[in-house]
Amino acid sequence: MRTSRYPRRGAPHLRLRIGFVLIAMVLSVFGARLVQLQGIDPGSYAAMAAAESMQDVVLPATRGDILDRNGEPLAESVDGLMVIADPALVNTDEAGNEVDRAPELAKLLATKLDVDYVTTLERLRRTDTRFQYVARSVPAADARAVVERAAELGFDGLTTQRDPIRVYPAGDVAANIIGFLGTPLADGTPQPLAGFERTFDAELSGTDGSARYSVAAGQKIPLGEQTVVEAVDGRDLTTTLDRELQWYVQRVLRQTVYDARADSGVAVVMDSRTGEVLSLADFPTYDANDPLEADEADLGSRAMSDVYEPGSVEKVLTLGALVDAGRVTPRTRLTVPPSLQRQDRAIGDWFDHGTINLTLAGVLAKSSNIGTVLAADKFEGDELRDYLTAFGLGEPTGVGVRGESPGIVPAGSLWTSQTQDRVAFGQSVSVNALQMAAAINTVANGGVRVDPSLVRGRVTTDSGEEVGTETVTSRRVLSEDAARKTMLMMERVVDPEAGVAPGAQVPGYRVAGKTGTAQRANSECGCYDGTFTVSFAGFAPADDPRFTVYVVVQNPRNGGGGGSVAGPAFSKIMGYALRRYAVPPTSTKPSSLPVEW
Amino acid sequence: MPSPATLRQRAPRLAGAAVERARLTVVPRAETRAARLPFVSLVTVLLLGGVVGLLLFNTSMQQSAFTATSLEQRAAVLSARQESLGMKLEQLRDPQEVARRAQQLGMRVPAAPLFLDLSDGSVAGDPAGAQVLAPVLLEAKAPPLPAELAPATQVVRPPEGTLSGDRGNGNGNGNGNGRADDRAGDRGNREGRGDGRGDAARSDRGGRNGEASSDRDRGGDRERRDDRGRSGRDR
Repeated sequence: MRTSRYPRRGAPHLRLRIGFVLIAMVLSVFGARLVQLQGIDPGSYAAMAAAESMQDVVLPATRGDILDRNGEPLAESVDGLMVIADPALVNTDEAGNEVDRAPELAKLLATKLDVDYVTTLERLRRTDTRFQYVARSVPAADARAVVERAAELGFDGLTTQRDPIRVYPAGDVAANIIGFLGTPLADGTPQPLAGFERTFDAELSGTDGSARYSVAAGQKIPLGEQTVVEAVDGRDLTTTLDRELQWYVQRVLRQTVYDARADSGVAVVMDSRTGEVLSLADFPTYDANDPLEADEADLGSRAMSDVYEPGSVEKVLTLGALVDAGRVTPRTRLTVPPSLQRQDRAIGDWFDHGTINLTLAGVLAKSSNIGTVLAADKFEGDELRDYLTAFGLGEPTGVGVRGESPGIVPAGSLWTSQTQDRVAFGQSVSVNALQMAAAINTVANGGVRVDPSLVRGRVTTDSGEEVGTETVTSRRVLSEDAARKTMLMMERVVDPEAGVAPGAQVPGYRVAGKTGTAQRANSECGCYDGTFTVSFAGFAPADDPRFTVYVVVQNPRNGGGGGSVAGPAFSKIMGYALRRYAVPPTSTKPSSLPVEW
Repeated sequence: MPSPATLRQRAPRLAGAAVERARLTVVPRAETRAARLPFVSLVTVLLLGGVVGLLLFNTSMQQSAFTATSLEQRAAVLSARQESLGMKLEQLRDPQEVARRAQQLGMRVPAAPLFLDLSDGSVAGDPAGAQVLAPVLLEAKAPPLPAELAPATQVVRPPEGTLSGDRGNGNGNGNGNGRADDRAGDRGNREGRGDGRGDAARSDRGGRNGEASSDRDRGGDRERRDDRGRSGRDR
């Protein structure tokens, strides 16, 4: 039995050797293959493998909203899709024959998507391309519904792709500040073109995420490889604007510009205590949902980029500074001649008068240039210039609006006595509207100038500047007493008997303000061209100011001045703001400073 | 050296029983066989159970993956719907829209507020001055026409007098023209101007009434222009 078994098993050593040789051969084949795969161009093979089963998806970040101070949206993002057609597929039936189905489909699309029938028809009939936009930035729900409906009716060749939509629910409200986005790029990247949309793009846009997972037959493999980098949504930007108030201010401003047959207008509403800008209105403006319809010149913010000579409104700063320096009091008596001969020319008043006796309050109430110049003679050296700089003139407000123009306060070397005479009543100095509003607000805020702000918190602009309510600084420019005295003088301006702007009164409230009617400098001729800038700045309630409102109208053609054009607009806007924020009248006696002696 | 005999004698004495036990002996092959059936069925059951269980598990995973995908899609559709409804809501909440509806109801903005103190019934504010303002102008004016389309001012020589016979005739012509132009719609203002001139020529003949009618025509023209501007905005 035993001996007979050996021959069947054979020689174990031989078997082992043969086995090892076989294994070595197989292994060396594997090795060679390994070198081929991993040594020579491993990347392309990895990519091929991934393409076979892995899917990469971009997880788009949602762009942050731009909100008003109450959280109402001024700009918001909505999921959108673009509808794309492949004309070749559209015009082929199931059997693969060429048919003309374009008219039917174009009719469906034109009724459902608000696109032009003829344009769509032409696109669907193109034979040289297989990619045609049918509609862009369609709300996702509508786009899907249309494509599904088309599929039900047997149309082929319609697809959708991501195309985010930016909506400005209030249309032209604050459009000049908020700006707008252009048509997104093909991959859905938005194109911020103007305003806050562009300035704070880094803040708003967020970071796209990505997902990578293995798929089979269009489905995610449950336990397959999967990596997800979550998208970081853009942060919301909260402005200090009040949407309702901004809307009303824009409508009042538009009416005012129409009534005066003027070129343009600006209106600013500031919270007197915090410097927060509740409204910054421009006219002409544009609909942010349709910026291409508007004139390009209307797309920026005139309130920030247009500088002009403020005219008589500036007298408030001159006289306030004089009172603060202790050179005069509101009751200081001045003898105002019909015309004042100065070094290089005669200075006149807007109204003809003989020699009149005005108090300082009267000079302001009647807006006398001569009286202001006489009072300003009491300044020593560059004092007025230093005060104006302290009021914030000549330096940018830094609220984060693009293209702000800081205006000009003549440099020290150019500050002659003639210059001072003209600056004292608001010529030879240029400002932007927000600067001037902040300067007047200094008087309203008890002599402390607060930086104006348009954005809540602390946000970095695209030029690296930090802006917002948290970066606001304040500085004392006038003593509290001087500010109060200036306020009492300003209150006489709206007095029907003493002042020039009774139209600016708000019934039941104490209002302090100042008119301005300034000649406009024309850069082409380098002269005053006979047109005017009329304005009114003021605050209420005068003895406990809550709002500072500044209205500027450029080139009115109805012969109106600051009191008759900008004054009533001021009154409407102020009345609305006081009502909206439920500010009761202070029920104190209004100023009764004498204007004459 | 002790003899083997003594060893053999001694060993049992020392640990006889242990040595007996330690001695290896050939054990006869165990003939007892465990019953095969339970084992085979156990393995089969385990295998089958495992395979079927795995299959079921996989199927349910796949099923839940399908469900997850379809639910995700539904969520996307629903959130898109929510967004578009939100958009419509925002359009209705637009201050412009709210103001338009309020003004339709006859509501107006007051010049200044009055405050009623409920504790003592006193009113703060100026009741005499608290009137309502004119309605807010909601829509912008249509943009001005480009120069090519704006008709030049027609200078018409004032006629010497009025002939009563021409009065009705002139009016009729003017109105008829106006209507025809209306129907023509977008045909352009050049034509309107032509009509105006025609009227002017007629009015020369027809006297003052004819002129008035041509004026009215021009007025109508202006209105139509406004209309066009507004509809352009709507678009």
